[in-house]
Amino acid sequence: MHGDTGIATSGGERLAESLELLADMGRDFARSLDIEVTLQSALTRITEYLGAEGGALFLLEDDETTLNCQCCVGAANITGLTLRSDHGIIGRCVQNNAGDIVRDVASDPSFDGSVDTKTGFTTRSILCAPLSVKAERIGAIELINKHGGDGLFDDSDLTLLQVLCSSAALAILNARMASELVEQEKTKRELELAAEIQRSLLPAEPIGPYPIWGLNIPARTVSGDFYDFFELDDGRISFCLGDVSGKGINAAMLMAKTASLYHCLGKTETRPGKLLARLNEEICDTATRGMFVTLVGGIYDPKSMTARIANAGHEPPLKRTPEGLYESFEAEAPPLGIAVAIIPEDGYPEFDIRLDGGALYLFSDGVTEGKLANGKMLGADGVCKILDENSDMSLAKRLRSVVAGLDRGGDLHDDITILGIDSRTEELSTGQGGGKYAPAAPIVPRLEYAIPARAARLRDVRHAVRRFLEDLGYDGTHVPDIVLIIDEACQNIIRHGYGGDSDQWIEIEVALEDFGLVILLRDFADPVDAAEIEPRDLDDVRPGGLGVHFMREIMDEISYLPREGDYGNILRMVKRATEN
Amino acid sequence: MEHSIRDEASAIVVELAGDVDLESSPSARTILLECVGKGKSVYVDMARVTYIDSSGVASLVESFQSARAGGSGFTLISVSEEVMRVIQLARLDKIFTIHDNLDAARQAGD
Repeated sequence: MHGDTGIATSGGERLAESLELLADMGRDFARSLDIEVTLQSALTRITEYLGAEGGALFLLEDDETTLNCQCCVGAANITGLTLRSDHGIIGRCVQNNAGDIVRDVASDPSFDGSVDTKTGFTTRSILCAPLSVKAERIGAIELINKHGGDGLFDDSDLTLLQVLCSSAALAILNARMASELVEQEKTKRELELAAEIQRSLLPAEPIGPYPIWGLNIPARTVSGDFYDFFELDDGRISFCLGDVSGKGINAAMLMAKTASLYHCLGKTETRPGKLLARLNEEICDTATRGMFVTLVGGIYDPKSMTARIANAGHEPPLKRTPEGLYESFEAEAPPLGIAVAIIPEDGYPEFDIRLDGGALYLFSDGVTEGKLANGKMLGADGVCKILDENSDMSLAKRLRSVVAGLDRGGDLHDDITILGIDSRTEELSTGQGGGKYAPAAPIVPRLEYAIPARAARLRDVRHAVRRFLEDLGYDGTHVPDIVLIIDEACQNIIRHGYGGDSDQWIEIEVALEDFGLVILLRDFADPVDAAEIEPRDLDDVRPGGLGVHFMREIMDEISYLPREGDYGNILRMVKRATEN
Repeated sequence: MEHSIRDEASAIVVELAGDVDLESSPSARTILLECVGKGKSVYVDMARVTYIDSSGVASLVESFQSARAGGSGFTLISVSEEVMRVIQLARLDKIFTIHDNLDAARQAGD
């Protein structure tokens, strides 16, 4: 502090007292649970300490055109009083963001006597200082009429008030930010609950080979997209994929409604065109604000490998023949929720799609209009290319490959939803049973499992691997060791590949070949440096380092395979069968 | 993962239970470091730990190092076979002080 400031020149005792007041106030603010109460007591102490007859604390309203008296001390209670923020001495203090001493208000043209007239109080002199943090103006404190002496505030009073005001301003700003955070946190929790309910509307992942599989990745916490499939009594499967216009909570609620209606009505109305007409009526009845739903609904018959679909204004479904030719099916009717009258008496137009060993894909525009890492749109062509590259993989893997390259980093992307129907399910399944397309080669027991890359899902992986190995009666190596290294390898993908929890996938394949146990882990992260799996010094106990050490200790071979398609890594680990 | 803490006059007994994995090891780490920070001998009862991975082992190592730096004891007790296997894989079985149970640890003066 410079020697010419009021505090220093008024003697050591005063300085010590001032600092004590400042420290006390700072402590009160830090502990404060209720900023309004703390401000009142701070103002009282400031007014007493500086020997003023009265004091008032004004806060600038959100529109910045009015000042509102938050609390006051002294003869006249003006709490709640509002003033124009460019008016009077306090207005000038706020506008100029500078403190002021007015020794005789009568000679200051800015002084507004109307408050005195109302309150019956006589203002002679004023000391005021702004409440502000950097350029952000919050309000001001005004003290009126000094007791004793010549009744005038001096420079040291102003300096002290300015210091106290800075401390108060910071406390007010902190309290405002804290309450905003609390509010945000509350909204976030509510959204997460809503998202949980939404996820429960999606079908459970089928166990074992199944002709239909889908996935949904919400852009925000909640989704405006949905898909569903469920088996009818006659063995046919009802399926749908829809996209509600707009984003956010209103789209999510209409999504929940449409999905529930489909699931409920779809069990009895098995003609897709009729079903969509019923949905249209229901949604038209209640849809508001011009929201609508595009949807493809249908019935798949695994025996005849035929899907009968109806399309309400949705992206054309894409059929891929076993020869790799594509055919798309444009919508011939408008989305649901526009109008009842425009739909023909017998419902939305239906058409049959014969799959004959091929597959049918339904997706939302979040897939085709999704951006790749290079900024380009994936497009229907991009979808076809990925499907071609991955044509001999299981349906689930193909769908995950399609969405793998889409950029989910920004806030701009749309909900991503894709559903596939594969008429070759049995041929592709490599599990026991085989069916008529079973390969002639001996059946290799195999576990295929996939999780979103989240720490909380590792328990599921451990459980699945343990059960698979125990069911096989696997006795090659201690089962917990295999469980551990698969967990460790998944952790490395989460931590180093995806940089933490992510909605991207980890695919796990465990196969018991005659020469031993082969573990494949596939991710969709950026390519890793093979040095990552080099053994490290044991002193390096960071989880990554220690985990790799475990993998090296237990497994006989660890290597990265050449990448499939444009994304990701495949880690292959082998535990050779012991020769007994 | 669950845990319980018994704060005695001269020692703290922390019981961990369930899976100490990538999801739960950050909280295991916080709990153990807080206990070690009190300057008393810490006994970690591992009887009901069903699974531990490298991140869980790392949190034990960090707490062990912190206790050492502060001159207090850090002892693992009732370590199950599964958990012991992982500690051995990490070659930490000779580094950690490990006893069958609390009485044995106290008798040994650890």
